[in-house]
Amino acid sequence: MSISARHGARQARRGPAEPHAAYARPRTGLPSPVLGGIAATALATLLLPLVLDRGGLALYIDIALSACVVVGISLLMGFAGQVSLGQAVFFAIGGYTAAVLVLNDVPPLVGLLAAPVAAGLVALLLGVPLLRLHGHHLAFATIAVHLIFLVVVQQSDTLGGNVGLMGIPGFSVGGIDLADHRSIAFVSWGVLAVVVLVSHNVITSRPGRALRALATSETAAESAGIPVGRYKLTVFALSAAFAGLAGSVWAYYVGFLSPGMFPVSMSITFVVMAAVGGMGSIWGALFGTTAVKLIVSYLGMLGTAGGMPDYAPAVLSYAVYGLLLILILLFLPHGVVPALRDRIVRRWSAPPRTPLDTAGRDPGKAGLPPANGRP
Amino acid sequence: MTQFLMFLVNGIAIGCGFALVGSGLVAVYRITGVVNFAQGMFAVVAALSATSFVALGIWHGVAELMAVLVGGFAGLATGVVAVGRRGTQPLTALLVTLAVGFLAYAIEVLVWGDQPRSLPGLDGRAALLGVPVQRQYLLVIAVTAVVFVLLWLFFARTYLGKALTACASNPYAARVVGIDVTRMAFIAFALGGVLGGVAGVLVAPLRPISFDSDVSLIVGGFAAAIFGGLTRPMMALAGGVLLGITEVMIRAYGDASYGTVGALVFLIAIMIWQSARRPTLHKEAV
Amino acid sequence: MSNVPETAVDSGPGGPHGESVIEVADLVVRYGAATALQGVSFSVGPGEAVALVGPNGAGKSTLVNALSGIVRPASGTIRIRGRLAHVPEGRQLFGELSVEDNLLIGAWGRSDRDPAPVYAVLPELRGLARRKAAALSGGQQQMVAIGRALMARPDVIAVDELSLGLAPKVVTGLAAHLRALNAERGTAVLLIEQNARLAFDLCSRAYVLEAGRMVVSGACEELARSNEVARAYLGGGTGEEP
Ligand SMILES: Nc1ncnc2c1ncn2[C@@H]1O[C@H](COP(=O)(O)OP(=O)(O)OP(=O)(O)O)[C@@H](O)[C@H]1O
Ligand SMILES: [Mg+2]
Repeated sequence: MSISARHGARQARRGPAEPHAAYARPRTGLPSPVLGGIAATALATLLLPLVLDRGGLALYIDIALSACVVVGISLLMGFAGQVSLGQAVFFAIGGYTAAVLVLNDVPPLVGLLAAPVAAGLVALLLGVPLLRLHGHHLAFATIAVHLIFLVVVQQSDTLGGNVGLMGIPGFSVGGIDLADHRSIAFVSWGVLAVVVLVSHNVITSRPGRALRALATSETAAESAGIPVGRYKLTVFALSAAFAGLAGSVWAYYVGFLSPGMFPVSMSITFVVMAAVGGMGSIWGALFGTTAVKLIVSYLGMLGTAGGMPDYAPAVLSYAVYGLLLILILLFLPHGVVPALRDRIVRRWSAPPRTPLDTAGRDPGKAGLPPANGRP
Repeated sequence: MTQFLMFLVNGIAIGCGFALVGSGLVAVYRITGVVNFAQGMFAVVAALSATSFVALGIWHGVAELMAVLVGGFAGLATGVVAVGRRGTQPLTALLVTLAVGFLAYAIEVLVWGDQPRSLPGLDGRAALLGVPVQRQYLLVIAVTAVVFVLLWLFFARTYLGKALTACASNPYAARVVGIDVTRMAFIAFALGGVLGGVAGVLVAPLRPISFDSDVSLIVGGFAAAIFGGLTRPMMALAGGVLLGITEVMIRAYGDASYGTVGALVFLIAIMIWQSARRPTLHKEAV
Repeated sequence: MSNVPETAVDSGPGGPHGESVIEVADLVVRYGAATALQGVSFSVGPGEAVALVGPNGAGKSTLVNALSGIVRPASGTIRIRGRLAHVPEGRQLFGELSVEDNLLIGAWGRSDRDPAPVYAVLPELRGLARRKAAALSGGQQQMVAIGRALMARPDVIAVDELSLGLAPKVVTGLAAHLRALNAERGTAVLLIEQNARLAFDLCSRAYVLEAGRMVVSGACEELARSNEVARAYLGGGTGEEP
C-alpha cells in the first residue's frame, strides 16, 4: 500500500523497485520460433484486409492507428517512466497538419510525412518545460495541455474552429487513389509496421538500454552518466510523432476533423490499452490495443442491438475501459503480455531447476509418464 | 467599479468551487499519498444526485445534504478500490482512480443520461455594499468558508483529525501505535467524497453538470491544491480563489473563450516553478 | 498495543504460557525472497528486562516489528500476554503534531487518554507538551517516543535502539527512566541495543541475534564474561587484548 511506500527508511532499505524481469534480461537476438511467429502474424494481418467486410475494415484501421499511439505511450511510460494523459493531442495535431496541407493542395503523401514532424516538433517544444515534471504533476500538466489545445483549436479559423474541417480529400500517392477502406487498411498496416520497426530499433539500441534504467530510477540513471533529460525528450517527441503519423492517416480516412473528436477521455483510453498490454513492450501495446478495441467493439454491437437505449454503447465502452484498467492495475500491474512472456520464457528457455520440475511440466521431453495421474 | 466588484464576487465563488474540490484532493493526498483523479467525479455524482432528489420532490437543503452523502459513499468506494489492496503504489493508484472515473461515467450515463443537467439554486440578487450579486454566489462563498473552518477544526481539534494527520505525517509510526492506516485512508477518501460532494451541489446551480464535467472540475481543483503542494487546505483555498478570479477576469475583460486557458497555463507554470525550486522532492514523489 | 497478528495472538489471561509476557516460537519472517528471521524463539517474563543485541541487519527490528504486528510472520507463533508497546527505531514521531498530541495518539484505541501518568514517569515531557515534535532534539524525541509507547499502559515495552544517535549523557538519562519504569512499575522491557554494554547493564538476561537466528542467550553477567560475545559486542574481550 502506498503508505508503507512513503516511509522513507523502509523504502531505502528495499532499494529501488526491481526492474521488470524482461528488461533486466539482456536480449541477444530473438529465437527463431519467435521470429517465425512474428513473420506469421505480420503476414496474417497483412492478408486480413482482403477478407474483411466494411465493418471489419473500419475496426482493423482503428486498431492499427490506435496501436501506433499506444506503442508510443508504452515507450514513454515503460522506458522513460513518464505518464502522458494528453497523447490524443499529438494524434489530433497530425490529423490537422495533414488536413490543412491537403486542403491547400499539397499532395497527401507530403501531408502524411509532415504530420509526424509537426507533432514531434510540438512535443519537443512542450517537452522542454513539461518533462521537468514527474508523476502526477506531469499527468495533470499533459491534461492541461490537452484542454488548452482544444480551446486553441476551437478559436482557430484555419483549423475550422468548433465546426471543424470538412471535406478532407482521401489518401492518394502520385495519382493512385488509396482512399477506399481496403487501401487505407493497408496504409494503416504499413504505418504501424514503420512505428513498430522504429520502436524496436530504439529499444534494442544502446541508448534504448540506457532508457530502461531511466524507467526504474531516474536518479540512478543520472548518476550513471546517462543524459536523462535528452533521452526523455527524444522518447516524448518520438511517441508524439507516432501519434501524429497515425492521426494523419485517420484524417484522410474519416474526411473531417473537429475538436469534439478528441476529448481528454480519448487520451486516457490510449493509456488503458498500453496498461492492459504492458508498458514498455511493443507486443504488449499491440496486444493491448487489439484486445481492448475488440472487446469494446463487440460490446458496442451488443449495445446497438435492438431494444437497447441509444447511450448503451457509450455506457458499455466506459465500463469496459474502467473495469479493464482497474483489474489490470491491481492484479497484473505489468500488463498481460509481460506476464505471459515471463511464464513462457520460464517454461521454455529457463534451464530446468530440478528433474521433478521438468517432469511435471514437460513429461514428453523427460520421458516420464504424465504426473498427477492425468491420462 | 460596480461591475468589477460583481466580477470579483463571481470569481471568488467559482474559485470556491475549485477550492472545495482541491481540499478533497488535499485530504486524500496528505493521508494516502494518492492524487485522486476521481475527486471531480464525486462532485459530478453529488450534483446529478441532487437534481434527482429535487425532482423527486425532496426539499432543497435536504436533497443537497443527501447528495453530499452520496458523494461521500462514492469517495469511500473509490478508496476501497484504489488503496484497499496492499502494495498499490501511489502512481498506480492515480491510474486506478482514473479508471474508477471511467466506470463512474458508465453508471452516471446509465442513471442520468448523457445530457447536462442543472440544479436550481438560490434565485435573485442581493445587494452587497450596494453591488447587486447573485445570491447563489454568496451562498457558495459562505458555505465554503464554513466548510474550511470545519475542516480546520476537524484536523486541529478532534482526535480522529489528529490521528489522520498522524497517518499523513508518519504512516509507519501510525501503524506502530496500532492505527489501521488502510482504514484511515478509507476515511480520508470518504472525506474527500464529502468535500467533492459539497463542491458539486454548490456549483451545479452555476453551470450545468454532465457526466464528463469531472475533467474541468478535477483540473481546477488540482490547480488550486497544487498551490499548497497538495498538502495545505488553506493554500488550496487561496489558490482556488485566485484561479477563479483570474478566470472570470479573463472572461470579462479579455477573450471569453480563453477563460480556462489562463487557469491552465497558470497550473503548468506553478508546477514548473515548484519543481525548479524543489527538484529532488518532485523526483522522489513519483 | 495489541496489534499483533490475529492468527498468533493470545492476549487473554491464562494462556498456555501464562508466565511469559512475550513468548515467541520458531518465528520466520520473509521480505519477498529474503528471509530476515529463520526460526527465532525467545521469551520475556513479566517484569523482566531482556536485552537483544546483534550486528546490523541481524533482524532485530524485524523481530520487534513482528511483535507489534507491523510485519506478518511467514510461520511460527507469537504470544503476548497483556499489551506490548513499541518504541520504533529512529523514534518515528509524528513531526507535525505537538508533543502532547503525539502522546494522545499513543493511546489510540483506548478510552483512557490521560497523559498525566506518563508525565509522572517522564516529567521532562510536561514542559515540552506544546512544542512540535519535529522541533525537538534527538534525546527529547526519544523521550517522547517512550512516552507515546507508555500511553498504551503496556505490560511490556520494546525499545528499538535506545541510544541511536544520542550523546552518552542523554542516553544515561533515558536509561535511568527505563530502569525506574522496570523496577518501580514492573513493566517488562525488551531492549534492542547496539551498545551492548548499556544493554547488559540495564537488563538481566540477553539474547544475541545474528543473521536471523538466536545464536547465544543467557544472563547478562555471564554473556559479558564470555569472550566471544564480549569481543563482538563490547569492543574487545574481558581481557585487555586489543
Ligand atoms: N521493509 C523491508 N523490506 C525488505 N527487506 C528488509 C526490510 N526491512 C528490513 N529488511 C532486511 O531484513 C534484514 C533485517 O533487517 P532489520 O532491520 O530487522 O535488522 P536490524 O538487526 O534491526 O539492523 P540494524 O541494527 O541496522 O537496525 C536486513 O537484511 C534488511 O535489509
Ligand atoms: Mg534495527
